[in-house]
Amino acid sequence: MASPEDIDRLRQLKESEPLQEAWDHWTSTLKAYEDMETLLSDPDPAMKALASEEAAELDQKLLTILKSTFPSLLIPHSTTANLSALVELKSGVGGTESSLFLETLLRMYMRFSQSNSWKPTVVANNENEGGGIKDAIVEIKGTGAYDTLRRESGVHRVQRVPATESGGRVHTSTVTIIVLPLVEEQDAQKESLYTMDEIKLEVMRARGAGGQHVNKTESAVRITHIPTGITVSMQDERSQHQNKRRAFQVLSARLMDRKITREIAERRAKKNSLIKSADRSEKIRTYNYAQERVTDHRIGLSIMNLSAVIEGNALQDFTDALKQDFEETTMEEMLESEL
Amino acid sequence: MRLSFNELRWLKRAALDSNRPLESLVQRRINREPLQYIIGTQPFGALDLRVRSPVLIPRPETEDWVIRLAEHLCSSYSSRPISLLDLGTGSGCIPLLLCHLCPNIVATGIDISPNAVQLANENATLCGVPHSRYKASLCDFAHPGFPKAEAINPPYDILTSNPPYITSDEYLQLSDDVANFEDPTALIGGYDGLEFYRLIARLIARDGFLSPEAVVALEVGHSQADAVCDMLNPTGFRTSIWMDPWGKKRTVIAQRR
Repeated sequence: MASPEDIDRLRQLKESEPLQEAWDHWTSTLKAYEDMETLLSDPDPAMKALASEEAAELDQKLLTILKSTFPSLLIPHSTTANLSALVELKSGVGGTESSLFLETLLRMYMRFSQSNSWKPTVVANNENEGGGIKDAIVEIKGTGAYDTLRRESGVHRVQRVPATESGGRVHTSTVTIIVLPLVEEQDAQKESLYTMDEIKLEVMRARGAGGQHVNKTESAVRITHIPTGITVSMQDERSQHQNKRRAFQVLSARLMDRKITREIAERRAKKNSLIKSADRSEKIRTYNYAQERVTDHRIGLSIMNLSAVIEGNALQDFTDALKQDFEETTMEEMLESEL
Repeated sequence: MRLSFNELRWLKRAALDSNRPLESLVQRRINREPLQYIIGTQPFGALDLRVRSPVLIPRPETEDWVIRLAEHLCSSYSSRPISLLDLGTGSGCIPLLLCHLCPNIVATGIDISPNAVQLANENATLCGVPHSRYKASLCDFAHPGFPKAEAINPPYDILTSNPPYITSDEYLQLSDDVANFEDPTALIGGYDGLEFYRLIARLIARDGFLSPEAVVALEVGHSQADAVCDMLNPTGFRTSIWMDPWGKKRTVIAQRR
């Protein structure tokens, strides 16, 4: 049987694996390069050409390890690396057009999650009368889901001619995405995010006589966290108990998000960092249908294949680039604070 | 009738999961059949129970007090086995959720409806509660020889029941989805709706039927709690009333003085 200390040690071992891997990769590549060096002065010109080609390739590899693999190992291990995510989508300006685009983004995140072997479940889905979805919440279960998706938070803008527009004018509409860290029930208690006496719980519908007399199919609940004023309503599940569970899950995620945000701000304040925190009202990305272009404004990256992005696959290019940008920024920050 | 977004979505999912055409499911709903019978399941606490006409569909009020009772029982009993009897067990929802939440409960359920007994035992299997912990049997607790019945093995530490409590008059006013699809014998509690509470009051007053520190939990109709307390008090039980989340006096809890 493993004791809690063993589990801690195992975790530490697991977390140090990338260090060993990088070092092994470095030494084996270096060894190959040194072996190749002797062939560089080979009398046979064909052999010599082959060797110099190979050496250049290895040299490039070594440079990559030195310039990106090693520095990335310096990035402090993310404390949220294991967390699943709760993604909230809210339609913004643009009415029905915004709701229709929200449906597209929802599908994009569902597909992206599946291709990352995470398990996405739509836990709330508020349909729009004119078509599309007014707002939705997706639970995305799987290791790394939160860390990969957290930089999707912000305003996503779509530019296209809506299907309903007869004049052929291009409209601009927006959808706000908020990615929250999903904490499991038992972890929520460990984090002591709230206590039950801070919670006001309301059931939404009057039920008349109730009990055996009626068969109501809906059991909406609303919980309010009094200290923060956060309210969560949930009505998508078929039982009161499930709606309550979901509502507490969303509340925990929102409180956890606040906690993480606060911790980051405190850390930055301590270091007098000039790097500003992500602002959720900031436009982060534009999806331009006429040009088949998606641009992320934070890193100035454009992908000229909109379909591939909204089908979910090319979203990876954005999340990868954003992760790299984040790591580089973190490194710079670390170097600055060293001076 | 107007189908809500939620109901439509649940029916869509059920159609997809069971490979049935959505139109026929919607048509059944339009004919007032309860959503739960069409889908075939009802979540109850952490359980997903099978439901089938005419066995009574578990109500959210019941779910609420059963979870609360489990919390109460888990904190007041230690690890010794507790025996439970559920009168009119229906789908088995009450004892099965209690068994699920309190690992030391061993329960018996009885019902006069063969449909209910069959369904309750199916649900035990579905929920992974073994026969050694819950078994439903065909038995009539209104029968004079009931305490001597083979399935009954007193004394019990806990007695639970959601007996029929609708009055004959009220029954005629019920909406179609309840009246046309759910078993009237699971709903009608005589002219004043209190018939079965009288039987239960007599039963729990019998020597040796309940253990000395027994707990009795009875669901009651929205205006019956005080009358039921009045029936139980002379039998040597101290009663208290639990409200449901919608503000109705829903459950009478009785413990020996």
